[in-house]
Amino acid sequence: MGSQFVDLNADGHIDYLTATFDGSPHVAYGSAKGFGTPVRLKDAQGQRLLISSIWDYDLKKHVNLGRAMPDGNERRERCISALAFDWDGDGDFDLLLGSYENGHLYRQMNEGTNKAPKFTGKNIPVMAGGKPFALAAKMTAPRLVDWDGDGDLDLIAGSFGDSWGTSTGGGIYLSRNNGATGKPVFGALETLIAPSPKGQQSPTRPDAGLYADAVDYDGDGDLDLIVGGYSIWIPKARKLTDDENAIVARLREKQQALRTKQQAVMAKVDAATQEAVAGLDPKSPVHRKVRSEVFAMHRPEIMALAKKQQALKKDLDKLIPSKQREAFVWLYERL
Amino acid sequence: MNIARLSLLGLTLVLISAPGAADEVADVPRFAAPKRIKAGGAFLGAGRLYPSPVLHDVNGDGRADIVVGDLFGKVTVALAAEKAAPGAESALKGGDGKPLKFSNW
Repeated sequence: MGSQFVDLNADGHIDYLTATFDGSPHVAYGSAKGFGTPVRLKDAQGQRLLISSIWDYDLKKHVNLGRAMPDGNERRERCISALAFDWDGDGDFDLLLGSYENGHLYRQMNEGTNKAPKFTGKNIPVMAGGKPFALAAKMTAPRLVDWDGDGDLDLIAGSFGDSWGTSTGGGIYLSRNNGATGKPVFGALETLIAPSPKGQQSPTRPDAGLYADAVDYDGDGDLDLIVGGYSIWIPKARKLTDDENAIVARLREKQQALRTKQQAVMAKVDAATQEAVAGLDPKSPVHRKVRSEVFAMHRPEIMALAKKQQALKKDLDKLIPSKQREAFVWLYERL
Repeated sequence: MNIARLSLLGLTLVLISAPGAADEVADVPRFAAPKRIKAGGAFLGAGRLYPSPVLHDVNGDGRADIVVGDLFGKVTVALAAEKAAPGAESALKGGDGKPLKFSNW
């Protein structure tokens, strides 16, 4: 989730606007007491704002809807970021909605006011350099900031990249606003931080899932980048003694035996589930409830085995370091 | 001066005189090697799922605090301190005193 602090409803209190992986923008309205319970933003028809794919809390699954897309076709694109931005300069906030998949950015116009917004419910692709804004490596959350100091708001966006494996990670990009107030024209994406090639032996940078904000952090008059993201590294291995190699072999044998046991437990759970839900409608709430109950019954056993695996991995890591992955927040100080 | 050197000089002059060329070179941002930010002695965002930082003056003291959201919809804040690293992360609370939490699937 990205975050924007903005007085969305023009009541004099700062609100907290964001979007999560449920596919819709949320806002916690501010008041003299502080932020209220977050609510989902709705369009003029009273429908949940979205790009296309949303998590249906009743069905407990993602559903694809085409109603907000320009061609009416559904997409597997989830809105995971939202920004308030007066696109047309008419004095009220329109919305920019960013998707995870394909890293597209859409605008949704407000035909009402800030106090009584009427979002159209129709997404219009935002262009960058004459082409639809897109970050193929999946977009985190864009930010609006006057990067080049020309008085208008530019876009900065990070990408996820490969969040787990050894393929290229995420980067950070800039799209300058070359237009005028009420007529933004965003330029082609420029690279601010190149995608991570990974392969380091210690955490040296955010490698994947780069969420960025631009701010003069050190007070020297230029904009720095504050970036959250995962570092992925493999510590340098050392030469093992014969005794240590023997320990490694034993630990790997134990790992394999444990994996076999885990597979057997999961097969047992699966069989018990099939027996318990026999004859029930797979879409019914009863079906879901029974499945959950069966899983809960076996959960202690599953968790105990998982814990043992973790302990074995920890012992192995001491001898043969494996891939490490941890999130941090970083400062990129501008020179 | 041979032909090759003349050609190189000519190309250099064309590049220097091209509109915006000098600006583009000057405008390429450069950054120092990234550093992990510490808050209250610990690495900010450590252990979180996809931390997303945004700077905002939460407590109205005129300093930008670091607000960090995550995949689960949880929000923390590391309050800025004068001439020191930010304080330890703590839950950003709503008006009801409970930690602010955005719904996720």
